[in-house]
Amino acid sequence: MKRTIIAAACVSACLAASLALAQQANGLYRPAPKLPEPKYREQYSSMTDQRDLSGVWFIRDYNRRFRTPINTLPPLTPFGKVEFDKRVKAETDGSPYADASTHCWPHGIPRVMNSPYPIQIFQTPGKITIVHEVAHNIRQIHMDVPMPAKVPTSFLGYSVGHWDGNTLVIETKGTDTRTWIDEEGIIHSDQLYTIERLRKVENGENLENEVTMIDPVYFTRPWVKKINYAWRPDMRISEYICEENNRNAPENGVTVAK
Amino acid sequence: MNHNTRHTLAAAVLAAAGFFAAGFAQAATPSLAGIWLVEGDFSTLKTSDGKLPPLKPEAQRKYAAALAARKAGKPAFDTLTRCLPHGLPRLMFAPYPIEVIQDAKQVTFLHEAHHMPRLVYVGDKLPANDDLDGNYMGFSAGRWDGDTLVIDSGGFNDLTTLDKAGLPHSDQMTLNERMRLIDGGARLEDLITINDAASYNKPWSVRVTFKRMPADYWLKEFVCTDKNPDAS
Repeated sequence: MKRTIIAAACVSACLAASLALAQQANGLYRPAPKLPEPKYREQYSSMTDQRDLSGVWFIRDYNRRFRTPINTLPPLTPFGKVEFDKRVKAETDGSPYADASTHCWPHGIPRVMNSPYPIQIFQTPGKITIVHEVAHNIRQIHMDVPMPAKVPTSFLGYSVGHWDGNTLVIETKGTDTRTWIDEEGIIHSDQLYTIERLRKVENGENLENEVTMIDPVYFTRPWVKKINYAWRPDMRISEYICEENNRNAPENGVTVAK
Repeated sequence: MNHNTRHTLAAAVLAAAGFFAAGFAQAATPSLAGIWLVEGDFSTLKTSDGKLPPLKPEAQRKYAAALAARKAGKPAFDTLTRCLPHGLPRLMFAPYPIEVIQDAKQVTFLHEAHHMPRLVYVGDKLPANDDLDGNYMGFSAGRWDGDTLVIDSGGFNDLTTLDKAGLPHSDQMTLNERMRLIDGGARLEDLITINDAASYNKPWSVRVTFKRMPADYWLKEFVCTDKNPDAS
């Protein structure tokens, strides 16, 4: 009898421990912040409208490495694995490759959605605009139009969106290959196609973004990464000038710490 | 009640309705939302009556040095040569579209130039300069005065110039802007007053207008550090 209780306790405790460990490995999932006062929140119709994503959001589970929901490396092709390993080794050796952020270029999609800085979402007719504090990025999403057959290449790509019930679906193509998917070494080709599914959960306190990445050059199959953002009406976008404090500017494509 | 009286009454009722409608229209906050493009060339600012701004001697020396550097082709003072922000008010004069998004709490200016956002918090009071960080875009507090959006901004650094020519300003500068729709909403007017006792003998003003661009214009990607377009 006693043994059974101990075993049961161990099962739940061990499960909690392994869950905690998995979460830690995935980046800390912070609890929703305590907001100033209830009446402050009542001013926001966005709390009750599932299709109103407007306002300031702040990432809850930032991790510079992109992993699958079960905390494994994405399904890299042999070529993708070689490129990934090269970048990880270069960083370990102290001379990391320069990515877009090193040059103060926009960070690309999906990377810019995974920055430890707040974002503000605006919804206007036919358009969703996301202002990112990081490196003054402005992302624009064309609503309710089909993805053009050919899209121009740009750092933040070409995004079209539509509502699937209360989920905002954003598809992006044309992301400049000079951007990376994460900060560690997962990169992409000009065939990268991302599908983001954003929806509010936890009574509007949390915005969930399920990002699917498709790129036959680097990945053997589509794979998913989840990012969560906390609703932060108490936060404002600050000035972020990469160009001013660019101490680690790359030399011949390699970042040199100064 | 004869026919004529009824007509008069109906007219009076209509007039009253019209009066109220006009009253409400006046009371309602106008929307500055849309895409705007500056009209004219503000690369060398003058006061609104066409004069050289009232520079103090030290500021006059800085301005002369800037003009000489520009003439020599080495405008190192110009933040744009390093892809750094225009600062204010210069960004308002940049010859690139501005998208304005407006709600009750915030009027947001998204500048195509450098993809720089300017967030104006409606209902906030401008804190004293000493209580602000001191950065390129400063802090902007807005309020509605009838049909006019009044923006007070401060908390700037002194690294930028007011214009491309090189009019200097100190970190004590504050700006007062009065922004309203003109020509039935086809244009936007911004009366900017520069308050900077460290650089100018008295506050002075410049009037800028913007024309409305097609509503379906989308801001283009603008990456100074990649292609370094010659933003003015």
